[in-house]
Amino acid sequence: MGYAWAVGAATACTLLGLAISPRFELVNSAMLYLLAIVAMALRYGRGPVAVTSILCVAAFDFFFVPPKGTFTVHDPQYWLTFGMMLAVGLIISTLTETVRKREKARAQLALEAETERIRSALLASISHDLRTPLAIMTGASSSLAERGEQLSAQERGALARSVYERSHEMSELVDKVLQMTRLESGSIQPARDWVSLGEISSAVIRRLGERLSSHMIMAEVPDDLPLVRVDAALIEQVFVNLLENAVRHTPPGTLVRIRGQIDGDDLVVSVEDLGGGLGEADTRNLFAKFQRRSERRGGVGLGLAICQAIVKLHGGRIWAEPLPGGGKAFRFNVRMDEVPEAPAATADA
Amino acid sequence: MVEDEPEIRRFLRSSFGAENYRVVESPNGRRGTLDAGMHKPDLAIVDLGLPDFDGVEVIRHIREWSTMPIIVLSARIQERSKIEALDAGADDYITKPFGVGELLARVRVALRHRTRLPAGDSLILGNVRIDLQRRQAARGSQAIHLTPIEFRLLACLAKHLGMVATHRELLREVWGPTHVEDTHYLRIYMKQLREKLEDDPIQPRYLLTEIGVGYRLVEEG
Repeated sequence: MGYAWAVGAATACTLLGLAISPRFELVNSAMLYLLAIVAMALRYGRGPVAVTSILCVAAFDFFFVPPKGTFTVHDPQYWLTFGMMLAVGLIISTLTETVRKREKARAQLALEAETERIRSALLASISHDLRTPLAIMTGASSSLAERGEQLSAQERGALARSVYERSHEMSELVDKVLQMTRLESGSIQPARDWVSLGEISSAVIRRLGERLSSHMIMAEVPDDLPLVRVDAALIEQVFVNLLENAVRHTPPGTLVRIRGQIDGDDLVVSVEDLGGGLGEADTRNLFAKFQRRSERRGGVGLGLAICQAIVKLHGGRIWAEPLPGGGKAFRFNVRMDEVPEAPAATADA
Repeated sequence: MVEDEPEIRRFLRSSFGAENYRVVESPNGRRGTLDAGMHKPDLAIVDLGLPDFDGVEVIRHIREWSTMPIIVLSARIQERSKIEALDAGADDYITKPFGVGELLARVRVALRHRTRLPAGDSLILGNVRIDLQRRQAARGSQAIHLTPIEFRLLACLAKHLGMVATHRELLREVWGPTHVEDTHYLRIYMKQLREKLEDDPIQPRYLLTEIGVGYRLVEEG
């Protein structure tokens, strides 16, 4: 690519030089070549720049330096010009190369800093989200183990239940961290199958049951939507995370609506809620890891990042948008493929 | 109970003991296979992550000579081997970590199902009554027309009443071994069945979806 540009630049300068040469001094043609060499040096490495310089010197000699039309040089001062053109090219390309390298090193450093930031965010959220339930579990279970006999049956029951609930919470958190790690390492291959998104949304609502009971959940997924070829278990995770997210971040009683629509070649699934807009939050940052919208509302800040990773794995896109009238929608799309022939209806009357 | 983790065996032992079950504990796959043959239990609980060999192998061994109900314990990252275990003949699964109540409920369903005559009875789904042998279905006194394939699908689900039937198994039994990958057939016919049998086909109570695995037919919705 660089070498093609080298030839192109030398040719362009020559043509331009020839066009202006009847009215301008020879030195201006030399300047044109120099300009081309500098421009090349800013963009490409030493190889293409050296080639440009040599081509320019050769062309300058052949087309402009008397006697024209030959590579012969009568006036020895042109040897100095040739030398200068080569030297300028090489010096500038060396300079820009150094700058480029430094830039790259800086980007690498920034990346390392970002990785470090994510790591400390993970540690911070683990220390909070794991240590609180752990402290409760340690305390409650030690009371049971060491003081069990002195407690009433009711107290024992309450302590045991808090161990149960907290451990459940923790195992979900660990699952999320694990899932994110596996998605990022690329070790998950989607097991695609023909799936009805309406069926998945119904099954998810049924499975989450209690956890959605504080809100009004509505599913508007027409049952004649075409089947899509996706990994059902992964897409289920997207539904679960989006629903839990909506319930966690809106006041009880808020309407949460799942919708499925066709948009061109895509099927778009939305989880909408009427519980306030997106606020100040940057809608792109929402899907970043460990991005919590509110410290107090819990969640490790991985739910949306996992959704994004899963949707991307399927070649789709996930985004958030405010709804008119103060609400928000999280939407993702999946490509619709042509569903193969259904079994012949005539065979089954 | 084939499970290598002693602490998991301990809490299962005490919970099952409290319900008057007699439990034989096998700490690895080899012992599990032997114990199943020696003690001839009414039901087997098999962990998928065993130290010596895959829990799926234990299931295959048991299935060579017995139809005893088998419930699989699987971790969440063992999605594929869970399906493999079900296809190899396990009847149901439960994902770790689980509450004991959930597991006991699964066990009760599996044992109850064992004492039923296979496919002989009629199914009662709310106010819909289905006679699988005479191939008749009715809501109250109103007859419901089911096609032969719909009946076959329902019969196959009923064979696993209360438990899981995998996509592969349903497809093989209803459409034949060349169609085990054609999950879209299942989606289409399950939708039809729900429309005919469920009060609310969108939020089914009897014909339940086991996402990524298969379907579960339950009588008490």
